[in-house]
Amino acid sequence: MKGFWPVFKRELFSQFVTPTAWVLVVVFLAIQGVHFYLLVLHFAQNAELSVDQGPVQAFFGGAILFYLPLILLCPGMTMRLFAEERRSGTIESLLTAPVSTPGLVLGKFAAAFVTYVAMWLPTVLYIVVLRGAGEIDWHVVATSYLGVLLIGAGYLAVGTLMSAMTESQLVAILLSSLVILGLFVLGIGEFIFEAGPAHDFCAYVSVWGQMGELSKGIVDLRRLVIDATFIVLPLFVTVRAVDAWRWG
Amino acid sequence: MITVEGLSKSYGGSSFAVRDVSFRVDKGEVVGFLGPNGAGKSTTLRVVAGFLGATRGKVVLAGNDVAEASLLARAAVGYMPEAVPLYPEMRVSEYLTFRAELKGVSRRQRREHVAFAAERTGIASVIDKLIGQLSKGYRQRVGLADALVARPPILILDEPTAGLDPNQIRDVRSLICELGHDHAVLLSTHILSEVEATCDRALVISKGTLVAEGTIDALRKKSRSSGVRLVLSGTGDVARALERNEAVAHVGPAGDGVYVVTWQEGAGDVDVAAENVARAVVEAGFGLRELTPVKASLEQVFAELTQETPN
Repeated sequence: MKGFWPVFKRELFSQFVTPTAWVLVVVFLAIQGVHFYLLVLHFAQNAELSVDQGPVQAFFGGAILFYLPLILLCPGMTMRLFAEERRSGTIESLLTAPVSTPGLVLGKFAAAFVTYVAMWLPTVLYIVVLRGAGEIDWHVVATSYLGVLLIGAGYLAVGTLMSAMTESQLVAILLSSLVILGLFVLGIGEFIFEAGPAHDFCAYVSVWGQMGELSKGIVDLRRLVIDATFIVLPLFVTVRAVDAWRWG
Repeated sequence: MITVEGLSKSYGGSSFAVRDVSFRVDKGEVVGFLGPNGAGKSTTLRVVAGFLGATRGKVVLAGNDVAEASLLARAAVGYMPEAVPLYPEMRVSEYLTFRAELKGVSRRQRREHVAFAAERTGIASVIDKLIGQLSKGYRQRVGLADALVARPPILILDEPTAGLDPNQIRDVRSLICELGHDHAVLLSTHILSEVEATCDRALVISKGTLVAEGTIDALRKKSRSSGVRLVLSGTGDVARALERNEAVAHVGPAGDGVYVVTWQEGAGDVDVAAENVARAVVEAGFGLRELTPVKASLEQVFAELTQETPN
């Protein structure tokens, strides 16, 4: 893990000193602000709509406006990580410093993750606003945010890997968007296939299904295993890919 | 300090960018790595610095194998890549502090190390500027400061004076000479005067193989174009008088009793060879009026060494 801290700090510095992170955060908050506004409006007009479906549940995973920004913005946060270093050649100074590859990869990933967390942080205000209008189940809020963090970490891990695959940021963002979209669409298979292994598999990996459960406060260990897989596996492959450059 | 044994590097396929290169650089030595563009200088330096893995052979830096104890080996090296890649969005001080931390300089020493490296390379006046706003010369020196910042025992510099103006070149060269006292310095260049000005020894690489190694004088002597110029009196066949002399490659008459004798490649001690030539012409009945050693210019040596290598 040698080199984790300096790489992490520099990467975070880079995210916030250049417009990248700010643009992403502003775009995200604008979309989520509209999303939240529409939901609150909807529930205000249909007060007796449902007992177990409130604005919090609907906000976290009840509508496509939750997923769409993730699919588009997470690749934007990770596209620079390695592609930019390779294009500009700074990777050469970086890899000749005494830095371990896992330290490098995790440092970069962690910086993207912290940016992601910073992006979500202001949305806690929405919950605080809701508290004025009714009772909030904080357990549900906590599990919902757990889902947000896990799924985001998975998407960012995929983005990190794609950024290490190419020297072009554009290719990196396109590839990671495609893979993330692919994973998302896989979950829709749950509603396409008849009951059977394909149906079960799609339901198992469904991001939508997972957020549905977590936003109701249900934590399923199997879902957590899937999430951990989607975080660890791309990062592991990234470490191997970075090591492989030396021998290319 | 730097030991390279049988280093080969292939970028996939059967063609090698560098083939079977071996050399060593000791502490207190500045060694120039000389060769035309595309000869494999940068590839070799990248492998030695640990950026690329060797296809065959091994590199040992300060006692640590680059492949096996990579982190330890890399910690002993300050490497300045050819293009001097830097982060334009950082200030010089931020960048050097980042690099010092990355290279394991402790928090307490970091400020002092950065100030020291900045002062040595003459960038103290731009320390608070954004790297993206610096001129090429300053960026080059930021790269050099980066190589120095952790005070490593080994410095590997890929064309350290490229893009500098003549004054800056002089400054950097004298800095390298100074650093040479207590570091092992390996620098690449295709500027011959740079090697003469800064290096104790030179390695000449051509088409991926090492074609010569030694001090500048030894390289000159090694060149076939070095020989002696004779002024003789009397008539006769000078070439025949010298044909038994093994060191002689060629005798060229230049008119008016002037002959230019060139040495065979690897002729050994050219001073002894000159004595033998003098004796042979006198014994053949010529009057020896003048004998002047002809030294090849370094440009000539370079051209011969790098152009005549069979591929």
